[in-house]
Amino acid sequence: MADESKDIYYVEGTPIPETPLPGKEPPPWRETSVVGKALPRVDAYERVSGSAAYPSDVHLPNMLHGAILRCPHPHARIRRIDASAAAKLPGVRMIISGNTPEADLIWKKDPVGDMRLFEPICRFEGDVVAAVAAETPYQAWDAAHAISVDYEVLPFVADERQALKPGVPVVHPKGNVSKTDRYERGDIAQGFAAADVVLEESYRTECELHTPLEPHGCVANWDGRSLTIWESSQGVYAVQSRVAEVLKLPLARVRVIGHYMGGGFGSKLEPGKYTIIAALMAKLSGRPVRLFLTREETYLCVGNRPPTNMTVKAGVKRDGTLTALEFSVLGTGGAYTAGGTSLADWLARDLYTCPNVRTISTDVFINAGPARAFRAPGHPQGAWALEQMMDTLAEAIGMDPVQLRLKNIPSVSQAREGNPPYTSTAFKECLELGAAAFGWEKARGEARAQRASRHIRRGVGMAGGLWFAGGGRPPSTVVVKLFPDGSANLNMGASDLGTGTKTVMAMVIAEELGIKPEAVQIECADTGTTQYATPSGGSKTVPTEAPAVRNAAVQVKQKLLEMAAEALKVDAAELVYRGRDIASRQDSSKRIAVKDLEALKRQGIVVGIGYRGPNPKNMTTHPFAAQFCEVEVNMLTGELKILRFLAAQDSGRVMNRLTYGNQVIGGITMGIGLAATEQRILDTGRTGKMVNRNWHDYKLPTALDVPVDVTVLPVEPVDTAANNTGAKGLGEPATIPTAAAIANAVYHATGLRITCTPIHPQQLVQRLADRPKEG
Amino acid sequence: MLPSFDYIRPKSVQAAITHLATGSAQAHAGGTDLMGCLRERIFPVGKVVSLSGLPELRGVSETADGGLRIGALTALSALSEHPIVIKRFGGLAQAAGEVGSPQLRNQGTLGGNICQKPRCWYYRTDFTCLRKGGGTCFAVDGENQFHCIFGGGGTCFIVHPSDTAPALVALNATARLAGPRGSRDVPLEKFFVLPEVDVQRETVLARGEIVTEIRIPPPVSGTRSSYRKVRARRSWDFALAGVAMALRFDRKRVIDGRVVLSGAAPIPWRSKEVEQIVRGKELTVDVIAAAAKAVTSGAEPLEKNGYKLALFQGMIEEELTLMAASA
Amino acid sequence: MSANPTNGPGGITRRNFLTTVGAGAIGAAVSENALAAGKEVAPPQVTPAGRSVEVALRVNGRTHVVQAETRWTLLHVLREVIGLTGAKPGCERGECGACTVLIDGIPRYACLTLAVEVQGHDVTTLEGLMDGEKLGTVQAAFVEADAFQCGYCTPGQVMAVEGLLRANPNPSVEEIRRGVSGNLCRCGAYQHIFKAAHRAAELKAGK
Repeated sequence: MADESKDIYYVEGTPIPETPLPGKEPPPWRETSVVGKALPRVDAYERVSGSAAYPSDVHLPNMLHGAILRCPHPHARIRRIDASAAAKLPGVRMIISGNTPEADLIWKKDPVGDMRLFEPICRFEGDVVAAVAAETPYQAWDAAHAISVDYEVLPFVADERQALKPGVPVVHPKGNVSKTDRYERGDIAQGFAAADVVLEESYRTECELHTPLEPHGCVANWDGRSLTIWESSQGVYAVQSRVAEVLKLPLARVRVIGHYMGGGFGSKLEPGKYTIIAALMAKLSGRPVRLFLTREETYLCVGNRPPTNMTVKAGVKRDGTLTALEFSVLGTGGAYTAGGTSLADWLARDLYTCPNVRTISTDVFINAGPARAFRAPGHPQGAWALEQMMDTLAEAIGMDPVQLRLKNIPSVSQAREGNPPYTSTAFKECLELGAAAFGWEKARGEARAQRASRHIRRGVGMAGGLWFAGGGRPPSTVVVKLFPDGSANLNMGASDLGTGTKTVMAMVIAEELGIKPEAVQIECADTGTTQYATPSGGSKTVPTEAPAVRNAAVQVKQKLLEMAAEALKVDAAELVYRGRDIASRQDSSKRIAVKDLEALKRQGIVVGIGYRGPNPKNMTTHPFAAQFCEVEVNMLTGELKILRFLAAQDSGRVMNRLTYGNQVIGGITMGIGLAATEQRILDTGRTGKMVNRNWHDYKLPTALDVPVDVTVLPVEPVDTAANNTGAKGLGEPATIPTAAAIANAVYHATGLRITCTPIHPQQLVQRLADRPKEG
Repeated sequence: MLPSFDYIRPKSVQAAITHLATGSAQAHAGGTDLMGCLRERIFPVGKVVSLSGLPELRGVSETADGGLRIGALTALSALSEHPIVIKRFGGLAQAAGEVGSPQLRNQGTLGGNICQKPRCWYYRTDFTCLRKGGGTCFAVDGENQFHCIFGGGGTCFIVHPSDTAPALVALNATARLAGPRGSRDVPLEKFFVLPEVDVQRETVLARGEIVTEIRIPPPVSGTRSSYRKVRARRSWDFALAGVAMALRFDRKRVIDGRVVLSGAAPIPWRSKEVEQIVRGKELTVDVIAAAAKAVTSGAEPLEKNGYKLALFQGMIEEELTLMAASA
Repeated sequence: MSANPTNGPGGITRRNFLTTVGAGAIGAAVSENALAAGKEVAPPQVTPAGRSVEVALRVNGRTHVVQAETRWTLLHVLREVIGLTGAKPGCERGECGACTVLIDGIPRYACLTLAVEVQGHDVTTLEGLMDGEKLGTVQAAFVEADAFQCGYCTPGQVMAVEGLLRANPNPSVEEIRRGVSGNLCRCGAYQHIFKAAHRAAELKAGK
């Protein structure tokens, strides 16, 4: 245990960044001594020891357990609900449904009309019908199963490709078109006319489910008029605002806590109907309620990466210059407005230099669960199409795929108004350094040489990408408290999803204050006790929070300098903060230890408040990536084995090399799922129901489906414009090129262009059988 | 969440049989399959009869004649790691090692593996299908990519989910059953029931009957056995297509043997067509090509499982080529 | 098998001074009668549906006698009755591995195991790998290799590796992959898990 009279948590001998004058933002770092290192997580102990309390671990005295009865049909009108038998079962304390006056609430506003908490018409399988709270979860489920519901089953449409055909049932009275978006620049016809080669191909990606390991849910408890919710969430303030809105409560009376959470990937950016239901049942029963979804429920009603149907037409000159890109996508956000085609066209618009681009996105309604943001919404899908097309174009003009991409690297964002330059782009270096580190040319050559022999064929492929966001932005407020002993508290509203946010922030504070990272204690993700933050998502958490944390730490230093100036009777500008002490630049005999500052003794701690400053005007900040892989295909069985991956990532400054690498391998694993194993399957013909709503039938990659050999190559451009840390987002760009790189490698191995995910044996063996026999 | 049920853990096989013979009782061996069925409420279970109080049903031993006796409650991992099984009945060790995941193999038993319920997703979720006493099969014109290409008989199109069952049929194993009317031995090949015989049963087990042990005759010298499984992901998955082989060689010539498919039919499916082509022959490229072609003769693919034709052909070609190379 | 397995030489201990708001005290139904391991408790007569029975569970070296319905899973009893929340519910159908515990030293899914079936057997959970506040070897290796992201699958991954190393102290990379192939990690940290397992083997061998 530390002796609090000492100042043992300062670090000797490491350079500490200059402290700017009060009111000034610190300039970007040059060299760093803590930031960038490979350090274990500050909350690693909690996560491996079992002491971390996830929301699903929270157990309150006298707590009830909830269960939700969901509509088993994709489209049905509820005629009658009879819960009388259920109410008599042992342990049942509360049943609510559309018949409950207190539950007559607007859950969400949608362009097609308000969505009620209990809709009289269920437009997707899994919408809520009734809910139960009982003494044990077993009793809650017994009761849910005992509720009798009379449904009028309505005609449905479960395939977005059918949704606009004449005579197809409509999801909403206004029809099945949710939204159509168009984008155009240059002259597309002229662009195609200028091309030496014009190619067109259609692509499809299947619907993916997030399925984080911790199911969605919460524990709700009322303390008088105040509501506290422990929610498995990516953003406690987002949960607070929706709950307050739906239940018509003051924001200040809704406290949402999410210290730990077991994965979200975009599906926990918002609360669910379950959150409201738990809060309602807790209120009506006067007891705390825990309500977590079953795994099967998480497949139906808490979001997905929607399916996309894309067509790309591209023109290229023999020298590799892109002249025209035309991209169209048909997609669906499910039964409500949910961004079914959002950003699918972004890479076509922005990744490569091309003067003539046209995109059209058609978003339709179907009777299926609404989409939610899923790690880099739209982008892996867009990359699946565009990056395969780039491969095809390269082959058509006899150019190496890496070279074709290098030929078309933009320095400005063409898709944005005014073509703002990127604050940094190392896309070129990702391609060049990545190809060199992977041994691209040698691997391509050797894979080819291996053909003609055995039935196992090797292929090598690559793809690139950028992420639409990733620069971070205001608002964010954080508070750093420094104690005389050199330990510090950080108070931050953001959630650490497992991306290592907390560890990065501890390192930022350690860097600025010259203290040990492990001496930073972090309070996060609690609307009752921490400052405002937007949800953690969109690869914006580090570039949003880290600059604010740095500003807060800098303010601590500024205050200490002022205290020292008073004590030493010199001008603060003359002083330098050295961690343990503060000294005059001119006269080293003028120095005082931080713990000896009288002003500090008077107030006990120094508090720094940091805000996220604005982003630079007329510039835009984005991460980039290029990924390379080698695969083996069994030409007799269609089995695909991914042998190795290399990811060259430009996410600006590496904040922690260890968690950086972890994020990237995670992105690749998820991309392997999109490419090879994952697919929601709806019984589109007869019932419209989802048939693979579990982890056996919906297949996530296992330890045996990923390669052992994965290399992460950070490419670090110096970005002094983006923010005062130079960091850009990492989580999403790491998964954007993966699936396309695999498809390109499969093409290289087999000569088969697989345009639909997933590349599983079912598809591949059939395609291999269908190809003309080799001579 | 599991529904409630009466529960008993009898101390003798006889008591277990007595309890299983009444009401809607189900036997609990490892429980890996039963828990899932209970959770999904696929069929009513009034009583769970646990077999875990019957240690005599566990263990692997060699019989006097050089064959093998495997207690029905032997865990799959114990089987796949057993030195004698690996050495002399390699196909069974491989098959047991390909089941599910490590934890499922630690818990799941051989008896449970051959008696498990189908994985058809209509059967496993809230569809009242033929096998559950409903009036219709949802798979026949539905999502049938994982369904059978043989033996559906126009009624129910499940595939038998077991990996060990085809290996046991290939090795000519026999199941010993104990029931209210005593015990009986049934060759594994006759143990499974096609839907055209009874759409609501997968095995010949009568009410109250359980599998107590599996016996495998001693392998004739020159016999090599193997199991190959193709699946959509490399762990924790059922076979898209699988093949168990037990072939007896005289130097390079196949004298006789069995070829049994998984992922093909509602029961482990003997490919007599392949057996006939390889019998008496050396596994030359031409013989292998003919055998690969023959494996799907008579197959009746559904709308979405046509790939299984190419898959079975490719897999047979690969496996026979491997066999030939090791001959 | 040792109830308190070896601990890492690193001696990583609790770092934060503040504790997190969390799982409240449970265990109203728990008593601690010492019971000889292996003693059969469940009577060989029918327990009717809905009726609770006394179940003696030996968990991390201590015997807990609880009142449980026969349908309650080991996972439910560990978490909701005994109050050990290390093992996590992810699917409750044997499809994710987050609930992996050791039963007689062997990894199994607590969600597919009825509590009544575990009487007379030794259960080891994540908490049982700790020595006081010191992390066990596998846990320490997970920290060092950063073998997790959200951490929710981690208790199961740790137990799978612990079980693997007890059976095979020096596994190859392929054996490690196979050993954890019954544990999903949606964050996708598999390669770091492989490294952690390798490192744990080294640490256990005193390297």
